[in-house]
Amino acid sequence: MRSFLKKNWISFLLLIVILILAYIAYSREGWRLVYEGIIIGITILVREIPLLTAAFLTAGLIQALVKKEFITRWLGQDSGLKGILLACLGGGLIPGGPYVYYPIAGALLSSGAGLGVLVAFVTAKNLWSVSRLPYEFALLGSTITIRRYLITFLIPPLVGVLVEWLFGGYIHKIRENVKE
Amino acid sequence: MNTSTIVLWIITLTLFLFSWKKGADTVKKGAQLAWSTTKKNGLLIILAFIIAGLVTVLSPEDLVTAWIGPNSGWRGIISAEFLGALLPGGPYVVFPIIAILVQAGAGLGPAIALITSWSTQSLLTISFELPFMGWRFTAIRWMIGLLIPLFAGFTAILLWG
Repeated sequence: MRSFLKKNWISFLLLIVILILAYIAYSREGWRLVYEGIIIGITILVREIPLLTAAFLTAGLIQALVKKEFITRWLGQDSGLKGILLACLGGGLIPGGPYVYYPIAGALLSSGAGLGVLVAFVTAKNLWSVSRLPYEFALLGSTITIRRYLITFLIPPLVGVLVEWLFGGYIHKIRENVKE
Repeated sequence: MNTSTIVLWIITLTLFLFSWKKGADTVKKGAQLAWSTTKKNGLLIILAFIIAGLVTVLSPEDLVTAWIGPNSGWRGIISAEFLGALLPGGPYVVFPIIAILVQAGAGLGPAIALITSWSTQSLLTISFELPFMGWRFTAIRWMIGLLIPLFAGFTAILLWG
């Protein structure tokens, strides 16, 4: 039982969140709203299946294609600023939501990428995201969009360097963390 | 079929061609790895999407409008950071909400802090981050990330008032 819980604690955590949200929805408008929420979630999931499939295949193929030594050399703990900048570029260019870039980041993690590199990848995806740019321009206008990009432009590499410097040594524990 | 899906499939097919050139074994290994990741995380992904759906019907947009007013200064930026973390959904869901707030008179600082916080601190994203990256990575990235929206918001106020 204990090892079962240990292995599946994230599922339990998500389940608890679902129960809390379902309770809030229920107390507001009854079962109808709970049902509607679940249906919307599943609808989004079904709609995103083509994207999810591509994301998982990309992650799998990267792992199969790229040799561990290559990742370690270019994106590993000792790749320094070069690795962090490379990760920022990759993160900024990759399209899709968290169910796309986290499987890819996970593949890089298990292939030997360093912590600063991975944080830089995720942060660049979140802040530079080229694929999001058209939406931002169209919906928020050029002034806010340009100013936002200017202000946050240096953040992904800086955060990568900072995290590597502060916590870089934890990467082995993080890797084991996911393998379990 | 949206642009993201098309671009990602182009990437996938390019990788597939490279693997194919390397030999059928590489393709097979890639597909096997993809399948084992899917199997391992399938349930979690379904749960994460159910959370996304429930958050959507609970429409936290009402709360957003109530919290950030014009000229809210540093308080507005801190509220914006909290709200950004709570905003669910992709850019086509979140940007229209932020646009409404800007029209209603939200300052540039809070608006930029809000976009940044939704980008880097989104709590909904964590349900995807945990299974693939583990709790240690998630904790480190998220804690350090807390500084980013504050920095962005204050810099915006400093530069453009």
